[in-house]
Amino acid sequence: MSHTIKCTCRSVCKTFVQKETHFVPVLKDITLDVRENEFLVLLGPGQSGKSTLLRIIAGLELPSSGEVTLNGKPIQGPGPDRSMVFQTYSLFPWRTVRGNIEMGPRFKGVPKEERRRIGKKYIELVGLNGFEAAFPHQLSGGMKQRVGLARAYANSPEVLLLDEPFGQLDAQTRYLMEQEVLRIWETDKRTVIFVTNNVDEAIYLGERIVTLEGKLPGKIQTIIENPLARPREHNTKSFLELRKKIISLTRLTL
Amino acid sequence: METDSTIVVELPPVQENTPTFLESLVVELPPVQENTPTFLESLKIILMRFHFLSFLSIALVLTFWHFISVYKIFGGTFLPTPWAIVQEIWRLMHQELIGKNILEHTWASLHRVFIGWAIGCAIAIPLGIFMALNDFARAIVKPVFDIFKPMPPISWISLAILWFGLGEESKVFIIVIGSFVPCLINSFNSLRLVDPALYDAARMLGANRRQEIMEVAFFGILPATFAGLQISLSLAWSCVLAAELVGGRSGIGFLIILGMNQYKPAIIVAGMVVIALTAWLITFGMEHIEKLVCPWRRDIKV
Repeated sequence: MSHTIKCTCRSVCKTFVQKETHFVPVLKDITLDVRENEFLVLLGPGQSGKSTLLRIIAGLELPSSGEVTLNGKPIQGPGPDRSMVFQTYSLFPWRTVRGNIEMGPRFKGVPKEERRRIGKKYIELVGLNGFEAAFPHQLSGGMKQRVGLARAYANSPEVLLLDEPFGQLDAQTRYLMEQEVLRIWETDKRTVIFVTNNVDEAIYLGERIVTLEGKLPGKIQTIIENPLARPREHNTKSFLELRKKIISLTRLTL
Repeated sequence: METDSTIVVELPPVQENTPTFLESLVVELPPVQENTPTFLESLKIILMRFHFLSFLSIALVLTFWHFISVYKIFGGTFLPTPWAIVQEIWRLMHQELIGKNILEHTWASLHRVFIGWAIGCAIAIPLGIFMALNDFARAIVKPVFDIFKPMPPISWISLAILWFGLGEESKVFIIVIGSFVPCLINSFNSLRLVDPALYDAARMLGANRRQEIMEVAFFGILPATFAGLQISLSLAWSCVLAAELVGGRSGIGFLIILGMNQYKPAIIVAGMVVIALTAWLITFGMEHIEKLVCPWRRDIKV
C-alpha cells in the first residue's frame, strides 16, 4: 500500500538555549513521514518534546538542525497551508465566534461576502449555529475549542495541527469532542497531526500513533499502525489490548 | 444460565413503619414549598428589589445629617440642612457669583479637566507604548518617570503658579501632570498584558507583520489603555479642584473657597455635592463608553 507523503521531518533536532550557556536538548533525530489525509497522533508524556515538534512543523520554531518539508518544500515559517488548534484555545477575545472563524480568510484579504460564506459553512460544520455573535468568554471550554477547530478549518489548510486540544476539558466533554473531531475530519479530510498525552485518545483517534520517549531529548520510540476499524469503542477487547500494548511499550518512560 | 442482557437493579422496598409519636409530629409540619416564600423571604425579596435598601441608607444618612444641623450638635451654624443645600444649589443656578452661576463654574472646571486630561493622555499613551517596545526609550525615560511618579500632582501647584501665573495654564499644567502618570503606567504595561499565544495564533492564520500588530497588539492593549484613561480622568478631576482652591476666579474649587471666605457653609457644601455628582456622571459615562469600545470585556464590578 503506497501513500502520498505530505510532510517529512528529516533528522530534526532542537536545542533550546537558556541564559546563553545552558543548553536544553528537546528533540533528537526525529525522522518521520506524514501521509496525506492521515490522522497521525503524537503520543508522549509531558516534557517529551511533542509540542515542540508540532511547533516546528507549524513553523513557529525553527529546528536547530535537520529539515521539515511540506510537499517537498522546506518549512521556513508559519503559513496558511497549516493551521493550528491550541491547548489554551488562543481565540481572539475581541472577536465574536464568527469574527474568530473568519480571521484566516480576513488576513488573506478574502472579500466580505465570501468570508461570510466560509464562516457560515464552518460554523455549521462544528455545530455552533446560534452562537455566531457570542464572544469567547461567554462560551464553555468545549465550545471554545469548536471555534478553534472551525477557525483552523476555515483557512482550508493542507495540514491541521492540534496541540493537546482537549487537554483542558473535562472527561465527558473531551470524549464528545473526540467524536466531533473525527466526524469533522471524516466530512472534510485533511492531514491531521494530533498531539496528546492520553493513550485512550491516541487509540480512539489515530490511524498511526507515534510514541515519544518520556525524557528529554525527545526521540521517536515506536510508530504503531492502528489496526482498529472505525467507529471504535473504548471498551472492546481489541481496544483494551492495544492500550495494554502501548502502555507496556511506553511503561519504562511514562 | 442467564440470557437476559438487561441488568435489573433492585431498589430496597419502601418501608412503611408506623411512625412514633415524635415522627408523626414531624410529618404533620407543613412542607416548605419552594415557590411560595416564607414571610421573611418575601420581605427580603421586597427589600432587595427596586434598590429599596439603597434608598433607605441614603434617607438615613440625610436624616442623620438633618438632625445634626437642626440641633447644632457640632455647634454654630456651620452645617446647613440637606434641604438648605438643595435650595442653595437652586439659588446658585440662577444667581451669579463672580460672573458665573454654578453650572457655568462646573463647566469651567470640566473644561480644564478635559483639556489637561487630553494633553496628558496624548503624550502618555504613545510614550508608554514606545517605552514598552523600545529598550532604549525605556532605559532613558523610566528612571526619570520613577522619580516623578510618587510626587502627588498637587505638590506642583506652587511651582505651576510661579511659572504660569494664576490663569488657565497653571491649572491645566497640574491636570496634565496628574493624568499623565496613571495613563503612562497603563499603556506601558498594556503590551505585556497581551497573551503572547495570540501572536502565534495570528501568525498561524497567515497574518503578516502589519496584520499581526493591527489585530493582536491594537485590540490587546485597548482594555488596559482604557483603564488608564479612566483612572487619569478621575485623578484629573481631583487635581482641578485642588488647583482652583489655591488660585482662580472660576470653577467649583473657587466656589468652595469663596464660600469659606464669606462664611457661607451652604456654598461650600453645595460645591461638594456638585463635585460628587459630576464625578459620578463622568464615571458613569466612561463605563458606558468602555462597553461600546471593548464589548468583549467581562463586567467587572467595583
